[in-house]
Amino acid sequence: MANSEFDWPAKPSLVGTRVNRVDGPDKVTGRAKYTFDINRPGMLYARMVRSPYPHARVVSVDLAPALRMPGVKTALLVRDFANSKNNRVMFQGDEIAAVAADTEEHAMDAARAVKVEYEVLPHVTIVERALDGTAPAVFNGGNVRDARPAQAGDLTAGFAAAAKVVEGTYSTQVITHTCMESHGTVCEWSGDRLTAWISTQGVSGARENFASALGIPQANVRVLCQYMGGGFGSKALSVGAEGLMCAKLAKAANAPVKLMLDRKEEHLATGNRPSAESKIKAGVSADGTITAFEAESWGTGGAGATSDFPLPYLYQSKNRSRTHKNVFTNTGQQRPMRAPGHPQGSFHTEIIMDELADQVNMDPIQFRIKNLPPEAPNAMWRSYLLEGAAEFGWSKRHATGDKTPGPIKTGMGVSINTWGGGGRGPSPAHCEITSDGGVIMRLGTQDIGTGTRTLVATITADALGLRASQVRPEIGDTAFGVSALSGGSTTAASISPGIRVAAVKALDALKEKVAPALGVPAASLIASGGRIHVENEPGKGMSWADACKQIGPQPITADGDWRAGMSSSTTSGAQFAEVAVDIETGIVKVKRILVLQDCGLVVSRLTAESQVYGGVIGSLNFALFEDRILDRNTGQMLNPNMEWYLLAGMSDIPRIDVRLKDQPERGVIGLGEPPTVATAAAIALAVRNATGVTMRSLPLTPAKVLGAMRQTRA
Amino acid sequence: MAKKDDSPDGLKLDRRNFFKTTGLAGLAESIAAPAEAAAQSTPAAVGPGDVPVRLNVNGRQIDLMIEPRVTLLDALRTRANLTGNKKGCDRGACGACTMIVDGRPVYSCSTLAIEVQGKQIRNVDGLATGDRLHPVQQAFCEKDALMCGFCTPGFIMASVALLEKNPNATPEQIKKGLDGNICRCGTFSRIFEAVSSVKGGQRG
Repeated sequence: MANSEFDWPAKPSLVGTRVNRVDGPDKVTGRAKYTFDINRPGMLYARMVRSPYPHARVVSVDLAPALRMPGVKTALLVRDFANSKNNRVMFQGDEIAAVAADTEEHAMDAARAVKVEYEVLPHVTIVERALDGTAPAVFNGGNVRDARPAQAGDLTAGFAAAAKVVEGTYSTQVITHTCMESHGTVCEWSGDRLTAWISTQGVSGARENFASALGIPQANVRVLCQYMGGGFGSKALSVGAEGLMCAKLAKAANAPVKLMLDRKEEHLATGNRPSAESKIKAGVSADGTITAFEAESWGTGGAGATSDFPLPYLYQSKNRSRTHKNVFTNTGQQRPMRAPGHPQGSFHTEIIMDELADQVNMDPIQFRIKNLPPEAPNAMWRSYLLEGAAEFGWSKRHATGDKTPGPIKTGMGVSINTWGGGGRGPSPAHCEITSDGGVIMRLGTQDIGTGTRTLVATITADALGLRASQVRPEIGDTAFGVSALSGGSTTAASISPGIRVAAVKALDALKEKVAPALGVPAASLIASGGRIHVENEPGKGMSWADACKQIGPQPITADGDWRAGMSSSTTSGAQFAEVAVDIETGIVKVKRILVLQDCGLVVSRLTAESQVYGGVIGSLNFALFEDRILDRNTGQMLNPNMEWYLLAGMSDIPRIDVRLKDQPERGVIGLGEPPTVATAAAIALAVRNATGVTMRSLPLTPAKVLGAMRQTRA
Repeated sequence: MAKKDDSPDGLKLDRRNFFKTTGLAGLAESIAAPAEAAAQSTPAAVGPGDVPVRLNVNGRQIDLMIEPRVTLLDALRTRANLTGNKKGCDRGACGACTMIVDGRPVYSCSTLAIEVQGKQIRNVDGLATGDRLHPVQQAFCEKDALMCGFCTPGFIMASVALLEKNPNATPEQIKKGLDGNICRCGTFSRIFEAVSSVKGGQRG
């Protein structure tokens, strides 16, 4: 890239260091106000009314009994159910109506009092029955939709060239985002102007959403999200039916309204990761080259939603074919969930990789290296696999099946990942330096828990030679300008360049103010260690506070935007897992995980590492615990809560070692999704290595592990 | 409902069998002592409308008029604007609502406000002294033991209760003591590191 004063500094003072999360104190004291915490004067509480049935016709809805309940102010339908073309509910949790009352308890009572008459219709919730045609035809145009097939090379020749062929059926389950803070909104109108506090991954997108759905100018909508309790993709694309109902109730009641979903609604209606199943047949030559890869896959993303995922994932085969069927079921629609498609693709591909390696007696790492694309800055798997193997003690790995006597078997597995995580504009940032020494960096992005405020403060302070705590990051408000949604690991790469550009420009303006007082040219000055001084002459300068006194009553302002060359895209990573399996109980205990992961220029090392921990633990949940369980008869979810929808607790967490592989020359790349792709497959392969039994289906529950072992013995 | 204590007696409790264990314990109690229960005076029925409820929260008296069914969590969050502790699951599974009542960690979403009158209630809003963070809060900041931060107040209160009772908790006791809390961002490793770094209420 062309040299410019905006380029990332060769010797940064703060970028890449371990800066404490700047909003940590607000979060640990409870001062940080999430949408759920917004209490407005005269505010009402709202609840949704939802279908208990996976498929039904709404014959009638009577809001009158609800309106007669104590404290109830208003009730509204989500749409006109008298319209026979639009009166079907398509999943358990599909929205019917909403009520607002003076207390949360009264709102709950009122929601229960809404009288809905349903004509229950036959439903399809079992994927196999949709596929074999025994399910009722629910969806116009059929329950099953073929995705576009993909093909390359010559499969027949590929299989002919194979020394060994492996065939298997692989599956991963539906999981839900289960954000700690539910989806929800507080809406307050002033005339035809709406202020909305919403738990969202994109305030700018939410503004557009509200305005277009409510038929008001975007300029009349202000969206705020100062803190939000997790989204993982489920809060990225829309304000949801509940967001719009909140705004409509507030308008109708002429009072602020808070509408937060409960845990059951979260599981049913706010998105999920689609299921994925595949039949794979793959051939391998004696020298360990994959000669053919044939895959048929299917999965359900719910009512009318897709379920596609990459297959094969990352490894190459000249001869391949792939078909995929999107199976529509009467379940809540999928939404992007942390690295959409990749965890599924990774599991389905990596499991068969170890099966193939065993067929030709190759070490899984050597076999992977043999079939990877050529090494490049955005394709570093070979290096990471070898480096990780040395650190992890891969040489101590035994062949498939732990021969140690006793019920506890141990094993190791490895898996790789990629993700884009690139940036783009427009992503404007605005910097102010005031005469009292204050620095504000203002932009319309949001922090979804990744540490965006810390990144803003770190880059700004780095450019100005200050400490991060001397910068006030202002984000989470559409009044601060447009910004892209925080999804796809794009935030860091999108906002970082504009922040640095704005900070450098502001500093240039400050140098112009300071130079005359020092009697030196502005170009000779640098900012470092809380001072503005002549480069290489720290004594010839002044403190930041004194420098800012030269500014005068009108603050220095400067704007920046995203610039090509300061960010990049596409990461690589490798993860190693060691497990202990109790073959009498089927319980899998993960002992340790090693992560090698790059993300270009590391801006904030502490929060970047936290993202990796979080990704690994999310994937461990996918591997061992999480599962949306539906009743096979009623189609209703059996575990819409947090006790039977299992999630790891502190005792389930292994030792996790994180090795961030710095690539500063590539600029900033996002990190949210890459580390949550590979862990599940690495764990399942470690279980295979321990028990000698290939686990082709997640989650690895004790029952499934025992079942697979029994089947293999039989 | 009281949350489990740390179990120095070797009774292994975790989130998954906690309900079972406490459920059985409650059952045993009611079977074993029916006469005793009957002998106690039956509390006067209250409600269903608003009734006066006096709470002592963070050393401050709070007088509310609320329905008897209102939980401690909702009473503080929606009637007293003490929003530090969060509602995650509203049924005693995630721990985001964890407060300390008479020295014991409880799920405040599954505790009725009316039942904790006369008890000393502490939530995260009252933990710091002015700008001075409690050592556990300080440790969470330094170890980056939080991401979105929504579960953090519950984890902090559970950690404080654990360390007040057992200042020299072993790694196993820390893990068991925090098994009643869930972090969806996956910050567990650093929460463990943070709590382990606080010894006897002081930074180690």
